[in-house]
Amino acid sequence: MPGVLPPPGTPWKARLAHALADTTLQGAISRSTHNLAAQRDAAYAGYARGGELRDAARAAKRASVARLDELLAECTRNVEAHGGYVVRAAGPDEVARYVLDVARRRGARRVVKSKSMATEEVELNARLEAAGLHVRETDLGEYIIQLAHERPSHIIVPAAHKTRGQIREIFDREARSAAAAPPADDSTPALTAFARRQLREAFLAADIGISGGNYLVAETGTLVLITNEGNGRMSTSLPPVHIAVVGVDKVLATWEDLGLVLQQAPLSGTGQRLTTYVSLISGPRREEELDGPEEFHLILLDNARRELLGSEFEDVLTCIRCGACLNVCPVFRTIGGHAYGSIYSGPIGVVLTPLLGGIEHAPELPKSACSLCYACRDACPMTIDLPHHILSLRVMQVRRQIEPASQRFTVALWSHLWASPGGYRRTVRLARLGQRAYLRKGRLGPVPRYLPAPGLLGGWLATRDAPPVARETFHEWWGRHRGRSDGSTGRSTLAPAVPGTDPSALAQAPAGERPAAPAADGATRAPERTERNVP
Amino acid sequence: MPQTPRVQLFVTCMVDLFRPRVGIAAVRLLERRGLAVEFPMAQTCCGQFAFNAGHHKEAAAMGRQLVRAFEQATPGDAAAVADVPVIALSGSCAAMVSHELPDLLERDALDRGAARATAQRWRRRAESLARRVVELSVWLERDVARVNSNPAEGSTAPTATQPGPDTVGPVPVAWHTGCHMRRLLQVTEPPIHVLEAAGAAGHELPDADQCCGFGGTFALSEPELSAAMADTKLQALATPRADGAACLVSADLGCLLQLGGRLQRAGDTYPVLHVAELVDLADQGELTPLGIARAAEARGGEG
Repeated sequence: MPGVLPPPGTPWKARLAHALADTTLQGAISRSTHNLAAQRDAAYAGYARGGELRDAARAAKRASVARLDELLAECTRNVEAHGGYVVRAAGPDEVARYVLDVARRRGARRVVKSKSMATEEVELNARLEAAGLHVRETDLGEYIIQLAHERPSHIIVPAAHKTRGQIREIFDREARSAAAAPPADDSTPALTAFARRQLREAFLAADIGISGGNYLVAETGTLVLITNEGNGRMSTSLPPVHIAVVGVDKVLATWEDLGLVLQQAPLSGTGQRLTTYVSLISGPRREEELDGPEEFHLILLDNARRELLGSEFEDVLTCIRCGACLNVCPVFRTIGGHAYGSIYSGPIGVVLTPLLGGIEHAPELPKSACSLCYACRDACPMTIDLPHHILSLRVMQVRRQIEPASQRFTVALWSHLWASPGGYRRTVRLARLGQRAYLRKGRLGPVPRYLPAPGLLGGWLATRDAPPVARETFHEWWGRHRGRSDGSTGRSTLAPAVPGTDPSALAQAPAGERPAAPAADGATRAPERTERNVP
Repeated sequence: MPQTPRVQLFVTCMVDLFRPRVGIAAVRLLERRGLAVEFPMAQTCCGQFAFNAGHHKEAAAMGRQLVRAFEQATPGDAAAVADVPVIALSGSCAAMVSHELPDLLERDALDRGAARATAQRWRRRAESLARRVVELSVWLERDVARVNSNPAEGSTAPTATQPGPDTVGPVPVAWHTGCHMRRLLQVTEPPIHVLEAAGAAGHELPDADQCCGFGGTFALSEPELSAAMADTKLQALATPRADGAACLVSADLGCLLQLGGRLQRAGDTYPVLHVAELVDLADQGELTPLGIARAAEARGGEG
């Protein structure tokens, strides 16, 4: 059973066109991703043990995923032993129901949140707001996009697509509606100061704090949050109730494992050795403690994650959401996160979205949002084989016949013809006939409106010129100069040309006139092979 | 008496159909280096287009044909072919053969209900081809010296190439490494050395590791996205162009068709050359702006 993800909204082509038309967005995305990727490279360059520690972290994470159910049970026991509540949520409905139950029981009105992809995945804000709760995002980037009524466009930098100017406009609007002083200018300190002032109020007034979780340490039942802003610590300690929504894939067996994995997200994501804050939360406030929430709830979100266990996609569960694959992806760098239509964008989103939401959910992601450049596989600290997962998802799509029948037919016919030399030759002849209508000055240029080019050719010529199929293919050239007319293979018969020899004379010379081969072994190097299919 | 060393040429479907002079250039430059070049005429395509689009049954059909084509040898000579290098005129196609084909052919045989032993046999045949396949510039850097150290191959064959007498210093060119060459074959340096030996200084583009947007069927099914990626690459190309790079060179015709096609669409006639064409030009002492322009323009006349 697939899980449930937010719907993609508008169709792929519309999202794509929107992104490609927005040069401001492209500039912002390009800057953020370049900076993050450069910071990552610099962090590793200055860290002699970086690679070795990354390998150890990967092994630890994989080992934990392999024992997932056992570790979840252990984690649950330990959280409960600290006085926390643990609940398993199959999907978005269960998460929302549980949070609303707590809110009702506590008479809660106001919620503050620290950044969490899991709550984005289940669209928790919308569900809570629909039930009359006031929700305030407190991560700076999340705050910005909440005010702009958008989704995050990057796993770790939710407002990566926004410029400072745009952020100032958003804050100015918020200042007017909240009757607060607007930011002094669009400098980072001024924008941050505005957000801090507004959010301080929200923290103090909140009845419930909701967080995600980066890791769970099973052996002590500890929730680990890594942030750079400190808002996570405030969201989880100031309000009287703390609810953490955490994917089941986040569990690690031991503190030793945590020690290894903890660095990896900041190293690969932002180029830091460690995030500014690392919060370790083991249950509600105890009697001797001065602060912390009265209640602590841990919601373990499945949403189809556990179905990946034991499958070829199991390593996807080792993803630590560092965003490194997004930062190097040429497609992400071109269109940004929103065009993916999923809260998980970039290469990991292309894989995770259909795996969690079902193969029919956003089929365009595996099919269209990847050029198979393999940059993501190199960037991933967990070496998740994203390109091969994308290939596997494409194979699954083909098997389910998700693509149009015309495309299936084209590929089937094409491969049938190209699986034999004779068929290949036939397509050459056909292509030469077919391209005539589109030839202009010896090349294929823009397609006239009255004569739309079919399928694949039309796709290419929509944005690029192309050389036509050659008057003489290499096969034909070889057959004419080196082989026999029946298409036999043959060995070369040309003399080694010395520099300065006119090559066109050699290439164009009729077979009978070409220079004789001074074969070193004294044997003739005339054609001596016949085409033959070895079964 | 030692035999003339043999190589088999894997031209790739794109070179065959759209720029055969790349293949012709490869034949010439290999022969100049004392090789007996063979071209198994039964080769069509490695199947990567279909493979990357998720059509693995179809990709396997083409892959099997490729395996068969390169197994063909003179009757009685069958054993010898196992040691004959297969020189590929594309880093991407070489990667398809060396990294994907053995798994693909085995899996596909099993999917078609073949016996385990049959599937294993296909894997071994593909592995044998995978071991032999080598991208042209890698071969030139790695093996040409060894081949030519054998005096039997004639002393006229150049180990490097001899720049023309009118060449002053190395000719600057822009060099683009295809993604599969870079990340699957893990090759970035050898082509630069090959360019150097040919009298050209290869300058990588800024953000060299970013995809040009070709991606096989990706370029056909997502023309706007693919072109936007090409435009980013062409913006990066502006840097070496401004520094005087005479042309854009790559070992992958896919990237060159993508970038060259995008340039042409904008009315820009900046030359793009396959590395085989560049080395062939250099061999003839024609690695000059004029020689480069002539070689690049010839493309239009092939239709």
